[in-house]
Amino acid sequence: MSDNAFTPLSADGLSITPQMSGDVLRVKMTGAVEMRDPGELLNPYWTGLDDAVRAKSLKRVEVDLRDVNFMNSSGILTLVRWITKAKTHAPDQAYKLVLQYDRNVTWQRTSIPTLAKLAPQIVEPAEVNG
Amino acid sequence: MEAMQITPVSSDYVELRFGPRWTYISCVRKFVASFFMIGLADKERAEQISMAASELLENAVKYASDEESYLKISIAKQSSVVDVCVKNRAEPHHINTLRRELALIQAGNPESVYLKKMESAAMTEGQSRLGLIRILYEANAKLRLDVHDNEVAIHALFPLEGA
Repeated sequence: MSDNAFTPLSADGLSITPQMSGDVLRVKMTGAVEMRDPGELLNPYWTGLDDAVRAKSLKRVEVDLRDVNFMNSSGILTLVRWITKAKTHAPDQAYKLVLQYDRNVTWQRTSIPTLAKLAPQIVEPAEVNG
Repeated sequence: MEAMQITPVSSDYVELRFGPRWTYISCVRKFVASFFMIGLADKERAEQISMAASELLENAVKYASDEESYLKISIAKQSSVVDVCVKNRAEPHHINTLRRELALIQAGNPESVYLKKMESAAMTEGQSRLGLIRILYEANAKLRLDVHDNEVAIHALFPLEGA
């Protein structure tokens, strides 16, 4: 961790590690999102990240989902909530949200590009191999 | 029923019954993926089927009215289809909600419906209610609901190409 504003999370088979890389926040997710109510865990976490990103005037956040082997629809909803909030930010607080995925993982290849359609002006699906 | 029972009947059919415990769902999803990975030799279809099984089971566990929900999965190569069926008993108002939900998501363009449901779910508290439309859109399956008294059977039907 290079910045105390971005704290890691580890619970219920899921790990999230945010790390600054230059002026880009990289958020690495590992494991699975299949708990009964992932919103209890993730909604406040994404809100905290969103607040910290805007406080630091960052313009790019990269979420690496390639090592998430499954995400249930309630987990997807947490990302929908984050995107829905992010797209309302004023231009001076707006940032690009890049969702990195592996096309060889079926749920990622179908869910991530769909999520990006919610707010194509700020969300970029990025197919990353390796 | 507390303990999980796995009963392979033939190479083309499997049925599982278990009590509505959340912790079993992940286990069943992984089993279904492995089973159909071998049976179909199609990783993408196997993962779509296991995703559908997981989403249907989550609904069943959330809305089951008693301890009788169970998962039934069958494969019927004669009709070139995989039928993922989850049955459980449910309260009448949950059944009515399910009927309305199915009618809604089957009435429009799946992608448009999915995006609209995402947007509306983001504005409300509570359950996502994205599971069924996710199965329809992301897994390209058909959905069918059978209700007998208070027993609900929801089917996700996957056509098999080249079967």
